[in-house]
Formats: sequence, C-alpha cells, structure tokens
Amino acid sequence: MTTATRVLTVDDSPSMRALLNHALTTQGFDVSQAEDGMAALDWLALNEVDVVITDINMPRLDGFGLIERLREGSRHRDRPILVLTTESSEDKKARARAAGATGWIVKPFDPAKLVAAVRRVAH
Amino acid sequence: MFEQRILPPGSPPPPERITVMQGQALVSGDARAELSTVLGSCVALCLFDPEAHLGGMNHFLLAEPPASTRGGPVDEYYGTYLMELLVNQMMARGARKSRLKAHLYGGANVNRNMMRIGSANADFARSFIQREGIELLRSDLGGTSARRVDFRPASGQVRCRHVEDRFAPPVQPTMRPEKATGDVELF
Repeated sequence: MTTATRVLTVDDSPSMRALLNHALTTQGFDVSQAEDGMAALDWLALNEVDVVITDINMPRLDGFGLIERLREGSRHRDRPILVLTTESSEDKKARARAAGATGWIVKPFDPAKLVAAVRRVAH
Repeated sequence: MFEQRILPPGSPPPPERITVMQGQALVSGDARAELSTVLGSCVALCLFDPEAHLGGMNHFLLAEPPASTRGGPVDEYYGTYLMELLVNQMMARGARKSRLKAHLYGGANVNRNMMRIGSANADFARSFIQREGIELLRSDLGGTSARRVDFRPASGQVRCRHVEDRFAPPVQPTMRPEKATGDVELF
C-alpha cells in the first residue's frame, strides 16, 4: 500500500493557496496549508510532512526565516523545502540557497512542473 | 524654450502624471503623483494604504489559460501573479495588507467579437479582491464603454470617467513573458 506524499504549502495569499491546493490535490498529494512562516512552524510542531513549499514575502515570519528555523533543529534538517516566489533576483535566490532551500521556483508557476519537482524531491 | 506655469500663491503643486501601461504595476507615495490609464476591456486595480499614504495601480488583460492549467476563462495562475506583484510592491514600501483598500475599473466589452474577455477579467479581479479579504471601496466594471482612471496614490483619490472607445488601447491580452514558465531550479 502506498501513502500519499504530504505537502505543506506556506503562502499568505488565499488566492495562491487555492491554486496550489488545486494543482497538488488533483495529482494525489495530501496537502496542508499555512498562511505564513509562524503558522507553518506551529503546524510542523504537531504534524509530519514530506515536502514544504514556501513563499518568501510573508508577514510575521518570511520564507528565509522559516527555512533557517527549520534547518536549526535536527527534525527538519533534511526535509525538502521548495521556494515558490515572485522574487527573481539572484541575491534572493543565493540567500535562499544559503539558508538551506532545496529548490527555487519563480511564479507564475506551471502546475505540471511544480508537481514534477515535488515528486523528484520527496523521499 | 520651456513653458513655465505661474501658479497663485498657496495653490497645490500641479500633478505629475504617470501613465500606467498594460502589464505594468506602479507604486508611489509622492503627493504630486497621479497614476493615469485608459481602459477598454483591460482592468486596473488601485490599492491604497491610508496609514502609509501609499498607493499603486496595475493594468492588465488576461488571456485564456494555457492547456496545462485548469480550464477557467482566464489564466488565473498568471493573473494571481500580476496581482501579487502589486501587493508585494506595496508591502515592500511599508503598506500592510490588512489596511489595503481597493478600487476596480474597466473590464468593458468594447469589442463585440470579444464579448467575454472584459467580463472574464472583471470577474477574476473581483474574486481576487474578495478572496484576499481586501476591502473594495468602489468599482466601475463592465458595460461597453472605455474609461479613463486618474489615481492619486498618496491620498487614495480616484476619478473614473467614461471616454470614447478610440482612446482605449487595442484589445491585446497581457501575455506571459517567455521566461515566466515556472521553471524549477534544484540546488
């Protein structure tokens, strides 16, 4: 028996969360959603996940902060974290990489490419 | 030679008009700035943060979605991205999303052969604002005539006038740039 890959998406925009939820659930993923980095940390304290997809620009705790906090502990040190962002600057990309991100996706995302990336990094 | 306008003492400085072209999103907190655009089927979203005295406007016309995305009447993936660009520009300049007020204009069905496109863009913009929980102060959407919108971003004042269709830009959807294909880079 195979279980669905569990994905947590972190984005402050309800519209973007709806698009992500649609793109991933229709492909069989088990999707949970958080509205910013703090909400994601709270959720991750109590739940298990296979892949995290996070935005960068968010209130309270942004994507960089979320990645740094997750990499600090041992539990999420190897968790695949994909950044999905409107940012296109090389500096921001380098910062995400240095913080420990697994991959970088620039919006507007293509549902098929996103799904392929999640499948590739999930383990 | 340049023309110099003599203003009576105490009168406010003349506006500095900035035209927002299709596909653009501009943000300003300059009290003299006036963001202007002419819309046919296109839609303009004006956002204003009354505490930050900051406003922004975009101007877009979404095309039908590519085959790989879900089959709504417009490309919601690209549309949501264009909206997010404006919201993020506002937030980067000190606006708070919870304080944002919105105005929506345009979405006329000026061309009888493309009846659906203005309405579909207006519907997308309205549902985006609703989903995001942004207060919609005023909207003038749909109908059959072109509009001219003048928006003072620092004060939030908006004037929308119906104008002759010939002033509106031709109906040409805002296309995704070739690079905007959602490519994934794994580190």
